[in-house]
Amino acid sequence: MAHPEFFDPVETASREDLDRLQEGAIVAIAAHAYARAPLIRETWDAAGVRPSDIRSVGDFVAKVPIIDKDDVRSYRDRHDDPSGGMSASVPGETVSIGTTSGTTGDPTPVPNWYRSGSEEAYFRDHWHIGLRPGDYFSWMMFTFRGGHRRRYYSEHGVSEICFSIGPSEIPRFAEASKRWRPTSGAIFSNPMLLMLEAYFEKSGDDPVDVFKSYKGAIFGGEPLGNRLATLTRSWGLELFETTSLGDVAGATMCRMHDGFHAYEDLAFIETVDPVTREPLADGEVGELVVTTLNDRLTPLVRYGSGDLVQIKRGPCGCGRNHARYDLLGRATDQIIIEGRSILPREIMGLVEQHSETRAGLFQIIRTDREMDALKLRIGYDRARLEVSHEVLRDRLHGMIAEAVGVRLHVELVDEQDLLKLGPPHKIPRVTRQ
Amino acid sequence: MTSAIRRPDFIGSYNVRGTVSFYGATAAEIDRSAFTLTRVLRTFGFAAGSNIMTISMVPEIIQYGGFERAVQMLGLYGLNADDSPFDAGRVESISRQFDPVAICGVAASTLEGLRMFGHDAEKVFAGRTVWARPDAYAQVCSMPNVDTRRVVSIGPALALECAHGCLHYDSRDWTMAEYDGVLHLSSRYDRTEPLAELDTGIAGSISDRPCTCGVRDGVVVPA
Repeated sequence: MAHPEFFDPVETASREDLDRLQEGAIVAIAAHAYARAPLIRETWDAAGVRPSDIRSVGDFVAKVPIIDKDDVRSYRDRHDDPSGGMSASVPGETVSIGTTSGTTGDPTPVPNWYRSGSEEAYFRDHWHIGLRPGDYFSWMMFTFRGGHRRRYYSEHGVSEICFSIGPSEIPRFAEASKRWRPTSGAIFSNPMLLMLEAYFEKSGDDPVDVFKSYKGAIFGGEPLGNRLATLTRSWGLELFETTSLGDVAGATMCRMHDGFHAYEDLAFIETVDPVTREPLADGEVGELVVTTLNDRLTPLVRYGSGDLVQIKRGPCGCGRNHARYDLLGRATDQIIIEGRSILPREIMGLVEQHSETRAGLFQIIRTDREMDALKLRIGYDRARLEVSHEVLRDRLHGMIAEAVGVRLHVELVDEQDLLKLGPPHKIPRVTRQ
Repeated sequence: MTSAIRRPDFIGSYNVRGTVSFYGATAAEIDRSAFTLTRVLRTFGFAAGSNIMTISMVPEIIQYGGFERAVQMLGLYGLNADDSPFDAGRVESISRQFDPVAICGVAASTLEGLRMFGHDAEKVFAGRTVWARPDAYAQVCSMPNVDTRRVVSIGPALALECAHGCLHYDSRDWTMAEYDGVLHLSSRYDRTEPLAELDTGIAGSISDRPCTCGVRDGVVVPA
């Protein structure tokens, strides 16, 4: 049987059809959220907004208050509600409870139905990469995202090869890739690529052979640096970067690699000024604000993601008309030194250029948004250290200071100390101490 | 034995004496094991709507996928953490925030992680039913106010202790035999990957005495 080019016909819906779909969906989810999610009701009541006030996208953007993670945490602390007032009570629909990564505090619960917006979005992405019924798929993940309950891939005739994330899994990953010849994989991360690199160097296994069946793999957790992007290209592996769409779904780059696609049947996205929270036009840099259009169990409505983005709504070369956005970094990670804005993404490309620090593990010490100097804690691999600490620190200091052009302090630590700050696929890139 | 079922939906793994082997199963096979596990879970009488945490790794879908399905089937809510020292903080956080009635799959790695992050395992587990893996069982047993039970992966099969103290396995799907004090596992039904006399490396014996909990599934006695 010939399979369609796109998994879901909504992927190629016209701009007009997407706008019409959103007009209806946003009114429906707004009413549902007000009725079921205590934090939404509390916030709207304080702002004097009622569901009957929302009859269009225009009403929605003009009247609905924005919430963010701090509001969710505040509600959690005030009401002893682990969901932060965002778990809608829908009897019979919650089948399990996932949790967020917990990189910056207690993991936040994510009630699960049998399917989630993320599963829907990611299956479309893997289909775009080339995954089809009858194929194998490499799944390297943690259990906290949804445990062993996921069935989306098997329901569509795809066999999942399951791996945990750790060095002992890498030889098994290579063996399984050669045995079952998967079409795609997820979620590849910086630590996983570094473990693969070390494995190939040590074992002599041929990365091109290991990856020869892969039409691509989804990469996430953190930005993909130039060094690892170049390395994986030499393996014949095309990586498709992904990021969280404001905790509502995933947003992944297509084969054009020109921004993260936000599926607009799953979410309504907009940008606002990160300080005034006033709406911005598409194309302006602002904070990404996301509203789910179909998650009845965690109905995040006008949720400020903290991500600084630039939205593009024009047609994409991949054939979709859904919005894309460029991700510049987290608003709360931004640091201003001598009037210059610095985000972790910029530092990663500099740190990973050195053999001893090729893992790109570092933290920015951020005590204020505006600071006098850039303070970096950089992790090095003890096994790759062939010079003294001082020589390495001076080398890193000289190169980074020249690139960013601001006053700089560099502290070196064993990278194992940073990895303990996990979860394993990422570490907090910005810390107060 | 050959299989009429050709393709697994999931390829997980099992571990025998430190050697990890791939093992495939269909979603139907995992659901089948879930029905067995509901019988064992029911012996505890957990109230519908209660939370149960599973500590496992993704490749353990073959063993723990059925357990999680059983949790769902009984109207309980499942939560997850990885069986890794680095995810022990999540175990503590989930216990504190969600007050699960039970935790399944506690291993030495979780106990090590709790220590590493400065959490008191006795407090984390107090008042709960805790199914501990063999490498953590003795230590959890010594904790006061914990209803300690066993959970044992016997190759791709999962054995779970009931409220009456018997370690049950799915004796309709699997045949268990003891040779020289070690459990050997064979499949009884057609499976994606049939097994014949798999030396599981688990020391134990088979009991033919019916369990007082009323569950008819087979019982193994760990050495």
